[in-house]
Amino acid sequence: MSTTTTGAGVEASVAPVTRRVRAYFAPVNRSAGVPTLFDAAQLGRFDLHAPPAPWVDLGWVSGFTRKCGTKVDALRAGSPAMTVGQVRTEVEATVSLAFETWGKLQVTLASGSQQTNLLTTTAGAAPNGSGGVATAPVPLLTSTGPASTATSLNVGTAAAAGFSVGSLVAVDVDYTGQLGYVGTGVSSAYVQSAGAVGGDVNYVRRVTLNVGVVVAITAGVLELASALPAGGPTAGMQVSQLVGFCDREGASFFQEWSGLFVMSGVQGDRVLVHYPRLQAMQGSTETEEALAAPLERIRLAGAFRALPVKDANDGETVLCFRSYLPAVLRGV
Amino acid sequence: MQNAKDTFYMMLQSRLATLNPARTIVVRGVVRPGTLVDENELPSAWVPVDVFRLRWTGLQVNNTGPLPLVAMECSIQYATDGSSGNGGMDRGRLLAAMDAELAAALGAKPHTVGKMNYSAAGAGVAATPMGTNVFWADPVFGAAKAVEERLERTTTVQVFAYQEAGEL
Repeated sequence: MSTTTTGAGVEASVAPVTRRVRAYFAPVNRSAGVPTLFDAAQLGRFDLHAPPAPWVDLGWVSGFTRKCGTKVDALRAGSPAMTVGQVRTEVEATVSLAFETWGKLQVTLASGSQQTNLLTTTAGAAPNGSGGVATAPVPLLTSTGPASTATSLNVGTAAAAGFSVGSLVAVDVDYTGQLGYVGTGVSSAYVQSAGAVGGDVNYVRRVTLNVGVVVAITAGVLELASALPAGGPTAGMQVSQLVGFCDREGASFFQEWSGLFVMSGVQGDRVLVHYPRLQAMQGSTETEEALAAPLERIRLAGAFRALPVKDANDGETVLCFRSYLPAVLRGV
Repeated sequence: MQNAKDTFYMMLQSRLATLNPARTIVVRGVVRPGTLVDENELPSAWVPVDVFRLRWTGLQVNNTGPLPLVAMECSIQYATDGSSGNGGMDRGRLLAAMDAELAAALGAKPHTVGKMNYSAAGAGVAATPMGTNVFWADPVFGAAKAVEERLERTTTVQVFAYQEAGEL
């Protein structure tokens, strides 16, 4: 049997073999237009289950497909015209995938627009597609008991009675007439006028991605299953309960995020694909996987178009970065 | 190829023994973890129960890359009569327990293990690490078969390895 080696103790480089693709999210500062950049030279070997901050694990994805829409045309000169060079006339990249997990982040990204939290409504609230008038929010106590953190919310014993283990909560500031991007930690929506959102004090909590699940209630403190994406609550934040999430076809906001996709090879090699700026290029949709009739598993399908950034090394305007980290002792 | 087979077997035996240390078998008077390779044991018509028996049943070699990629099918057979204390009425539960142990062992991360050369290994001599990893696909669980009072199942898993330079 013939084999190939590239040197003593070094195995030949083989094509990466991977099981699945893992996806990670990081926010884009929409107001400043600054994405989160991933430096594969510094962090490329990170533990897939513990991504470096501010990257957030989106879980496994399936059907991960990258498409290059870049067009290269011939540059011709002379008579008869002959190709003397090439030019890129369009640069475009898209990526599509299906999330294996239905979390707030995944649902939001797949929807591609502002995604509302279905806040619990007041009794008798008029029906509304994305949730009716919400109940009054619960303030976080600052002068009594422990300070609230990213994983514990001090609402006091009286207010805590209104929550139960398993409650979903949204934590964010009141809407007080802010215009532009709103949502702490991640820009979740764009407010064009206070009138457009009806001056709803709960509007920011209605769209925020700063949500959590209550797993314990101790002496007026709501303990959360995981840290709030935006970290510890800041002054003025309040808590609203929600029952789920809702997105709409036809909403105007374009969600934008920094994406990182990792394919971990079985030989210890790794392929990382980083899109600093991704925006959804389709509305909310799903893919169905037949399990056994009549059961189907429904996955969140997302398709995204990459937007450009400048590479600080040479000023080139690019859409994505693909990095390859070889396994140890492999030919290069 | 033998190194890949040995490596996969040792990995699986270790993981299964960790999951259920009580699953053992006595082979030629020696108590061992309850995972064995048929071709490494004395031929016998006796079918041991409540243990995992590995058979290497398929082989493909793809020579298109710089290193030949070897794909081997490993059939893992296991059976149970249930426990005598329960009159065999727990045989379904015991088979389910073995299903769960096998699924957990093969599903645990990582789905790779560094290939080792066991040809010279023995008492006081460790196996030699090689340069590539052995990896495997998800297991395919066959239908459970009832043979009189015995329940048995065969699960197959595709095991892959690169044939390294000089490796036979």
